[in-house]
Amino acid sequence: MRLMVHRYLILWLAFFRNSLSRDMEFKMNFIGNLFIDTIFYGSLYFFFSVIFSYVDSLGDFSRDAVIIFLIITYLTDTVFLFFFGSNTFQVNRMVVRGDLDLLLLKPVNALFFISFRYVSTYALISSSILIAILFRATYLYSSSIGIYNYIMFFFSFLMGILILYCVEFMIACLVFWYKNFSVGGWLASELIKYSRRPDSIYSGIFRKALFTIFPMALVSSLPARMLLFKPDIILLLSQLLITVVALSLAIVVWNKGLLKYDSASS
Amino acid sequence: MFIFIRKYSAVLKINWIQALEYRANALVGVIAIISGLFIEYQIWSLIFKSQDLTHVNGFSFNELMVFIFLSIIVGQLKSSWHTSGEMIEGIRTGDINKFLIRPISYFWYHFMMFIGVNSLYYTVYSIILFILIALFPGAIFQAPINFIGFIFALIVSIFLSYSIYYIMICLAFWFGEVRSIVVAYNLIMLVLAGQYIPIRLFPDSIIQIMELTPFIYLVDFPVSIATGRIPIDMWLINFFYSVIWCLIIWCLGHFVYSRGIRKYEAYGS
Repeated sequence: MRLMVHRYLILWLAFFRNSLSRDMEFKMNFIGNLFIDTIFYGSLYFFFSVIFSYVDSLGDFSRDAVIIFLIITYLTDTVFLFFFGSNTFQVNRMVVRGDLDLLLLKPVNALFFISFRYVSTYALISSSILIAILFRATYLYSSSIGIYNYIMFFFSFLMGILILYCVEFMIACLVFWYKNFSVGGWLASELIKYSRRPDSIYSGIFRKALFTIFPMALVSSLPARMLLFKPDIILLLSQLLITVVALSLAIVVWNKGLLKYDSASS
Repeated sequence: MFIFIRKYSAVLKINWIQALEYRANALVGVIAIISGLFIEYQIWSLIFKSQDLTHVNGFSFNELMVFIFLSIIVGQLKSSWHTSGEMIEGIRTGDINKFLIRPISYFWYHFMMFIGVNSLYYTVYSIILFILIALFPGAIFQAPINFIGFIFALIVSIFLSYSIYYIMICLAFWFGEVRSIVVAYNLIMLVLAGQYIPIRLFPDSIIQIMELTPFIYLVDFPVSIATGRIPIDMWLINFFYSVIWCLIIWCLGHFVYSRGIRKYEAYGS
């Protein structure tokens, strides 16, 4: 087991080095991606600043809490992008072109390969800046944030990213059934929008769904809650359970999808 | 003129047929607008309830929801992910060569392609619009003239939007890969064009800046006509400005294209 982990770690490092040298060849694209990130952060911040010109708080989330929530949302998005962002929707291209054959023949776990092959190295810069801003914002926050909050936040944050990956990956896997699902990225971005608003804006059954079967509130809102409010171990354990279920489901969907794959275009 | 129409209507027809092949896209389009509206519904219902408001900047809750719903629909109809991606790829890979040796305009060919690709959405969103009229009678198209005005404003919006995309795409002659510019523009427009929050809810200073740009004619103008938020006597001047913007952007697009084509080396072909 230890040997396998070591082997896959070395493989990921090789992916990272390869992606970095690719990215350095297209420097304009590298800068362009940083520019997109800035625009994305700016537009989301502008959206909430307009909302806060009409209201003082969104449920439990005050203006300052929403700013920290936004930084966590950006950070989630950036870290997700670093590890998985360039990979999930490669599934569609590979199935349509039949390139998946080549991948399945490699002496490596196909799911690992397809999930981690490309690393968005530029996200390292965005992540570093965002982590610094997050520390600054939490330092200036009206209530004191303890070390316990940070620890709980860290685990919740990691699980949030895994949940995001599972949702995107399962949507990308729909290509096995639709033969060409190029709108998968669009569908995923629409569904992920629910994670980019504080959970306090939702109510009733839908709010419950966001914490369970459609776990978008667990992506950024729950980590923000762990950091800003009293950490809730029960919520963290339920997030762990949902993460495990989502990961298992993603593996099942991938395996079922592979059975449907007929390599038509290759 | 007849040849022009026949030539480009053939392009439109081909893309319409192609769009019909991918009917699942229409389903995703419907999910996208309903999902977008649902999030806005949640956030604004919380604001109205928590502040005990009956109106925000002249909008009742229902009026605001109808306005946002229509804005999302118009926003989707004017956006071009597929066509712009294909055009950028064409410049980068040398696929544009065929437009240089054939009697066909690069601008109009892709404009028809843009309409053709989106045609499935026009059909589906029209059905949704009729449902909206039935659900909220009086909230949109209070008079037939509003409907006619909306259609004209929508045509202007689509043409203007495509012309803006065209300028960004032509930058590929210099930079090779300009997808990041298009993505950044799309992200900005989601908020600034009023797709998720009506422009009239923005701070005054931002509204004043927006009024000096063509972006106000992309979503806000057609939706304001449909919902009767612009008095009829103001339509003419607004149509005049929007058409002037179309001409400016169109000319600018042709200027950038003619300059770019001189730089073009067909290195990808």
